Amino acid sequence: MKILLVDDEQKFINMLAKRLALRGIEADTAYTGEEALKQAKNAVYDVAVLDIKMPGISGPQLKKKLFTLHPNLKFIFVTGHGAVEKSDEDGSEKDIYLSKPLDLDFLIETVQELIQTR
Amino acid sequence: MNDALNDMNAESLKFFGKVNASISHELKNILAIISETAGFLNDLTELAKQGKELKLSLLENCSNSIAEEIQRGFTTIKQMNRFSHSVDVAVMDVDLLDILDLMIGLTGFLSFAGKVRIEDKDQKFETITTCPFLLQNLLYRILCFAYECAGPEGEIRLRLSPEKDKGILLRFINSGQMPVEKFPDEKIKQTADLLGVEFKKNNSFYELNMLIPYTCDKIKDVEKNQ
Repeated sequence: MKILLVDDEQKFINMLAKRLALRGIEADTAYTGEEALKQAKNAVYDVAVLDIKMPGISGPQLKKKLFTLHPNLKFIFVTGHGAVEKSDEDGSEKDIYLSKPLDLDFLIETVQELIQTR
Repeated sequence: MNDALNDMNAESLKFFGKVNASISHELKNILAIISETAGFLNDLTELAKQGKELKLSLLENCSNSIAEEIQRGFTTIKQMNRFSHSVDVAVMDVDLLDILDLMIGLTGFLSFAGKVRIEDKDQKFETITTCPFLLQNLLYRILCFAYECAGPEGEIRLRLSPEKDKGILLRFINSGQMPVEKFPDEKIKQTADLLGVEFKKNNSFYELNMLIPYTCDKIKDVEKNQ
């Protein structure tokens, strides 16, 4: 299982990556959408965890670009608002929205569920 | 004047809501870092219980990180408090540098905010008699416009100079081009008009100039009606 964490809050995703590593989950970090795209060109990820509001490319814009590169990639959005589940624009796929601060066990559970649905 | 002020009420509420939403977003980010760091400390404790070596440098990094985020939280709450109290009195004497400093801090929470630098920050200016909340609203909107023009890597320099008996000339010097046809929009124009702020023409696409009056008749009317 390999995860890409994208957020401009560097300390947040660095710490999250360390905690995931302790649980045997490999997680790369990117602090901007541009950086994430570069990394996604050279690696295959199962799930991308994206902050919604970032300088430059926003989370939803990044999702579209990453999806073009890796159609099997699954996405989780991290938001400052409440935890909700919303349908995609075309209704074909549901995006998962998790609220900050994250519950790590719930994040891992959600990642596992997403991978199983592929 | 009263009609114009009533028209501003809805916009003012929106502005108040927008700023508060961005503050809550900032506080959530701070709490998220503290929460992950505390979680990591728990992870390390569990590993230590299992006999794994506990590196002191990791503990030190975690405690430093938590302390930094608490300080960031205090700064944010202080800004929130200053902003909240700006509606206490409709008209008062204000220090423009103080208001600019607060607006730079509050717009800094927005994802598209770039760098802003006030040149000659140590200068002293006469106070301005104005409506602090509306002036904040105006400066916030102009900063947002300037950020969008500058882009995420851009920089905005603010230069202030006194204009004798008139007010303070505030110049926004942007690293990105600012399309003159988009500025000022209707909301900025309306707020500027209420405050007696005058936009000065210049020949540069990289610069916006505005004269903020020491006082103006419309503001005096508001003061009388308080």
